[in-house]
Amino acid sequence: MFKVEHRRVAAGLVPMLVVALLAAGCTVPARPRVAYTGDPIRDGQAWIEQGPPKDKVLWEYRTALYAMRGSDFPLATKLFDDAILNLGAMMQPDAEARKARGYFTEEAKKTFYGEPYERVMAWYYRGILYWMAGQLDNARACFRSAQFQDADAENKEYKADYVILDYMEGLITDKLGGDGSDAFQRAQKLSKIARLPAYNADANVILFIDFGAGPQKYASGEYGEELRFREGSSPVKSARLSFDKQTLAISPTDDLYYQATTRGGRLMDHVLGNKAVFKKTTDTVGNAALITGSVLATHRDTQDAGLAVLGAGILAKIFASATRPEADTRTWQNLPQYLSFAVLALPPGDHQLTVNFLDAAGQVITNRNKMMEISVSAGRDNVFYVSDQTTPTSTTTPNSAKP
Amino acid sequence: MKNKLSGIDIMNSKISLSLLTVACGGALITGCASSGVKNPSGVPVTEMKADERGFVAGTGIESQDMVAVTDKMARSILGVPEIANATTTPRIALLSINNDTRFPVNKDVFLTRLQTLLISKTQGKVRFLAREQMQALEKERNLKREGAVTSVSDPRLQEFKGADYFLTGKLSGMTTKTSAGTSDYVLYSFELIDARTSEIVWADQSEIKKQGLEDAAYR
Repeated sequence: MFKVEHRRVAAGLVPMLVVALLAAGCTVPARPRVAYTGDPIRDGQAWIEQGPPKDKVLWEYRTALYAMRGSDFPLATKLFDDAILNLGAMMQPDAEARKARGYFTEEAKKTFYGEPYERVMAWYYRGILYWMAGQLDNARACFRSAQFQDADAENKEYKADYVILDYMEGLITDKLGGDGSDAFQRAQKLSKIARLPAYNADANVILFIDFGAGPQKYASGEYGEELRFREGSSPVKSARLSFDKQTLAISPTDDLYYQATTRGGRLMDHVLGNKAVFKKTTDTVGNAALITGSVLATHRDTQDAGLAVLGAGILAKIFASATRPEADTRTWQNLPQYLSFAVLALPPGDHQLTVNFLDAAGQVITNRNKMMEISVSAGRDNVFYVSDQTTPTSTTTPNSAKP
Repeated sequence: MKNKLSGIDIMNSKISLSLLTVACGGALITGCASSGVKNPSGVPVTEMKADERGFVAGTGIESQDMVAVTDKMARSILGVPEIANATTTPRIALLSINNDTRFPVNKDVFLTRLQTLLISKTQGKVRFLAREQMQALEKERNLKREGAVTSVSDPRLQEFKGADYFLTGKLSGMTTKTSAGTSDYVLYSFELIDARTSEIVWADQSEIKKQGLEDAAYR
């Protein structure tokens, strides 16, 4: 009688101990406490310094873009430089990345470098900043590296297909005395939504414009193992530039939602798919073993075998619950949806530019209007950046950094 | 019969114990996987030679490439008859390097190192002109001409030297990306141009190719 009791206690202890161990073993390091101030740049910098190292690049991307929109180009440069420097580590052996491929670690535990469209944008903005600083060849290098990030799309048709990157590469090559016609033709061939202006040797003002809300990531599938993108929510669909009694329609040259959704499957999707199958299989086997074990354990003759099957079932359930197939949905959330530009030939001196952002019906969204007082210098390119998210203080100051 | 039952009991206890062990092991392994921290104590600073390929490396232009390329170029320039057999000290001005790769680089580093190597190896047989400092030099000369500062020679004389040669270079690149990885080829070419005749009196090149593949978690 005592032995039967002892056996029951032992059998009962198994799940209790397992639960206790799981609870203890699964303790995740405490989330860092970063106080939100409401200022995206200060908050971003706090996350960069105090947040988890695996998310550092993500916060650098986000904060750098807020800095650009606030015309704090030195800060944007510093943050993009550090983020891009980190991208080089993608080819280094990384224990966190290796773990993320394992069954029991979620993908979001890996160091964030972003999906290709996010890495493209980091290089793209850095290219603009180099150009603002008068380093045309380094700007071109960045546009090339940006295009390179998109070179591994599954479908050949969507490989390296950013119009603005090829266009700007050709324009800089032309400005440096080379032949940019190849790059221009590539850009023209890729361009589906805009007719590109021919290169003008007198052009001295380059205005980069972006608008709309960038793609947002979410996870679908039974266990959230499928990475998906949804279009960002913004009424802005195009823009209009007015300057010196002239008006120019600004159509999007590139659409980041299109880019995010045409990349095709990732190798990691297969890994996550395998994790999901493993989770489902072990869970099903666990359920079957628990039911079978429970039935067997109720009969005196099969009680021992039943306990063994129950134990196996518990183990299978443990493995199922520990398997983490969830896709990484960390997103560079403040990206725009559309990229565009204007290349102008303006006489040196002060000019006023007005950028109106338009909705799908072509109506001006009045609270997004941007007025820019720019100063055009002779003998160099004058590069400016404006977004429908540009903060009000920046619209009255020149957007071009000093060389 | 009683003995037989005891045997089963012992076996049951063993099974229970084994199950406990396995379950605990499994729980520990699975549970702890999520709390691992890479290099919790950090990685101590490691001093590397500039021409050494470190443990942090990509397919881009790195310090060891710059060192190898500038070393080779300096040796090559020293063998140019116009420099080696010059009867008067040749004066060289640096022209900016054209970066035609996909890697943004600090181009000044190449020319600065090349200039320093040439100055030290020729022990003054070659002189470089500080053209990037012209603004400050002109300002100083004007102060001397105005008598605002002292001068050991007649400040009205034109003493700024003209260049006999221009040293310049170009970085060109070629990139391939396939499912097997990324391959980056960079050609570093330099040339010395006679400022009087526009002849290229010396040219040399160095090429470096690197390949790599990202972790599957990023592909």
